[in-house]
Amino acid sequence: MAVTTVTGVEGTVPALQAALAAENAAIFGYGVAGAHLTGSGLAAAEQDWTRHNEARDTLAAMIRRLGAAPAATRAFYQLPFRVHDAASAMALAAYLEDGVTKAYLGLVAVSDERVRRFGALAMQGTAQRAAFWRGSTQAFPGLSVP
Amino acid sequence: MPDIVPRRRILLASATTLPLLLATAGCRSSDVFAGPDPLAGRPPLGHNVLTLQAVIAAEENLIRLYQGAINGDSRTATREPQQARSRMLRPLLAQHEQHLAQLRARLIEPPGQTDYTTGPTASAAASPGPARVTTAQLRAAERASAGDLVQRLATMEPALAQLFASIAASDATHATALAAKGLG
Repeated sequence: MAVTTVTGVEGTVPALQAALAAENAAIFGYGVAGAHLTGSGLAAAEQDWTRHNEARDTLAAMIRRLGAAPAATRAFYQLPFRVHDAASAMALAAYLEDGVTKAYLGLVAVSDERVRRFGALAMQGTAQRAAFWRGSTQAFPGLSVP
Repeated sequence: MPDIVPRRRILLASATTLPLLLATAGCRSSDVFAGPDPLAGRPPLGHNVLTLQAVIAAEENLIRLYQGAINGDSRTATREPQQARSRMLRPLLAQHEQHLAQLRARLIEPPGQTDYTTGPTASAAASPGPARVTTAQLRAAERASAGDLVQRLATMEPALAQLFASIAASDATHATALAAKGLG
């Protein structure tokens, strides 16, 4: 787990862009998952989709403030597995949240204290949503611990 | 064998007379040696070490709280709600024990400092503990822990900051899980 501090705007922008890319992938993925969910599951997916849209806007604004252009969203994202029912839709939602959690953990390694704090707080939300969809908590969200 | 004794004497004499010679020469050992001053005592612990010690102590307290809750429930094990609560708490306790193991693994202290590698949690488990630990207390403790870790990570080196952030996120999920179950 060797991590070096990502210093300066040059280091912060790529980390923010990675988080933005993860948010864009989550927005796309929740669209797929929502199509296989009903009732409270669908309502939760819609709520989470909205939160990811808000997070995307926040990240894009942060990137612009640092003088860079936010990376554009892709038209299509490769899903990790086939989604064909409610169970696989919920598994996809957990997978998406895990991906965003990892990306926010990348922000915690930058030198800017405010960005670190933002990343740490953001990953609490994504970890909670991952736990909801998975049905269980994890000891180290976003982190690969042997 | 015969030449060992004189060598020991020489070494002993050097160890006792060197500080005296340095003192009479008006210089400290740090003036002679470029490295750390061997006569100045232990160097102060670094910020990362002190913070890790504090976080480890907080994690141990959290574990004690869970152990107290589970032990308290086991004393009233005939009641279904307490059994259900213990079943829910045990996986969360196991994750806190994983947190503690990772934190301890990153703590490197100079010899002679407090040994954090052996668990005071074992003795805590044997103690009777508080009267009854409520789920609300556990939830509050989880929230406080998550908040404290986020406060601390700003000044830590990146790998430790990420570990703190990950544990804080885990604690936040615990707080939500405890709220969702609604067990007293």
